[in-house]
Amino acid sequence: MAISSLHATTSLHSPCTTNTSFRQNQVILFTTRSSRRGSTRHGGGGARTCFQVSCSADKPVVIGLAADSGCGKSTFMRRLTSVFGGAAEPPKGGNPDSNTLISDTTTVICLDDYHSLDRTGRKEKGVTALDPRANDFDLMYEQVKAIKEGKAIEKPIYNHVTGLLDPPELIQPPKIFVIEGLHPMFDERVRDLLDFSIYLDISDEVKFAWKIQRDMAERGHSLESIKASIEARKPDFDAFIDPQKQYADAVIEVLPTQLIPDDNEGKVLRVKLIMKEGVKNFNPVYLFDEGSSITWVPCGRKLTCSYPGIKFAYGPDSYFGNEVSVLEMDGQFDRLDELIYVESHLSNLSTKFYGEVTQQMLKHADFPGSNNGTGLFQTIVGLKIRDLYEQIIAERAGAPAEAAKV
Amino acid sequence: MATITTVAAMVTFRSPRTLPARSPAPLPLRRSVVSFAGMPARARAPRRLVAAAASPSTPPELAQKVSESIKQAEETCAGDPVGGECLAAWDEVEELSAAASHARDRKKDSDPLEEYCKDNPEADECRTYED
Repeated sequence: MAISSLHATTSLHSPCTTNTSFRQNQVILFTTRSSRRGSTRHGGGGARTCFQVSCSADKPVVIGLAADSGCGKSTFMRRLTSVFGGAAEPPKGGNPDSNTLISDTTTVICLDDYHSLDRTGRKEKGVTALDPRANDFDLMYEQVKAIKEGKAIEKPIYNHVTGLLDPPELIQPPKIFVIEGLHPMFDERVRDLLDFSIYLDISDEVKFAWKIQRDMAERGHSLESIKASIEARKPDFDAFIDPQKQYADAVIEVLPTQLIPDDNEGKVLRVKLIMKEGVKNFNPVYLFDEGSSITWVPCGRKLTCSYPGIKFAYGPDSYFGNEVSVLEMDGQFDRLDELIYVESHLSNLSTKFYGEVTQQMLKHADFPGSNNGTGLFQTIVGLKIRDLYEQIIAERAGAPAEAAKV
Repeated sequence: MATITTVAAMVTFRSPRTLPARSPAPLPLRRSVVSFAGMPARARAPRRLVAAAASPSTPPELAQKVSESIKQAEETCAGDPVGGECLAAWDEVEELSAAASHARDRKKDSDPLEEYCKDNPEADECRTYED
């Protein structure tokens, strides 16, 4: 009986083996590992799920990331793709100015590709790229829906260099599909398609410091022009982009440090990871005791830190009417052992082995934010997304197995 | 707690990577452009400044576009500081500055040999041997 059902399921997945055989192996590994961990609710599904997972892997898990820093090349994306393995690269042989990044498991697209007005069009209408009038949400919804159903899409390309809309590129459904840009959660229909959403909330002071750092070396830019540019975008940003954070499952908020009085360079950062409670397949990270409040300074007798040190806080809170848990880190990591010490005290990290967070941080020690909360929380969110992905895949595999058993 | 012993074990395992020495990320270097209050990490900055001198600049056409867009934005806004055209002009400046910054990062990451080998894997320089 059991054997016959196995055969039935293998025949189901044969169309998938043609061009995705290597990737299937990766997926199989994921599910067996997760059932061995014993922490999933799909315990006994180990052997059976090996065969059925492959087909459902064609239906991607969709993640939304709201960020103002341009598309696809952001540090967050590189860390996320690294957690899954493999480096993300622009599609080979396509438009060299494509904003898309593709790795073995992940495809990241830039929502700027759904601009309905190109740069000249926006100038004529007097509209910024932040304005919903400059974006085609209908097309965005249609295409994200198609990808979620496992169909390939012809996605337009917005060329950031020329400011024009280039001919479309073909995107195949990957295992993990990430939409990154200014408006992933703006349209309600698109929001409902997302399995997980993240909002990167950079405070004004930090944004200013970062933009100065980015643009001051640029010929033509001055402090005034940078300031004017930020201020001109602020009204549209506050009206259209900022409200999305209430819908996000996780918000990474970057603020100036409280450890150094009058610090205005944005070098030491205070970063908060605001995690919504009750999100399916997502268990917030906690410190010491879930649901309680705690402030923790790891530096002391066992661990010596250099100035300004590290300070953690954790506690439940309310965020735009939602129940959330907030994990906060202020300060900088100076040495490896600070990182591993902190990791050993955090719980629910969804790591597969002790030291995985530290290993990921070290792997990309040259990325910005590798020594503070931005890198740490981005890495943790990456691990959480991997966990969410594995749970979803195991669930999908579990459902047909139940049907086949009968 | 056993954390200290495990930390020691982890440290010895990780030492070949020598990454901790680099962990104050490139952020300190570019910060030398902005004023700097006394920070202990500065002790490490001199070693890194040598690398900073070699950091790539923006490709010329993009740099040109950025400075032109800034001039244009200043002109447009001189007449009408809160109008739509002014906001759109500064938004364009931001978009181009972001594109310029990405171009700089890409140039920094790219290795001329790797770039060549991506297109010509059969060339002598690009042959790989697996034992």
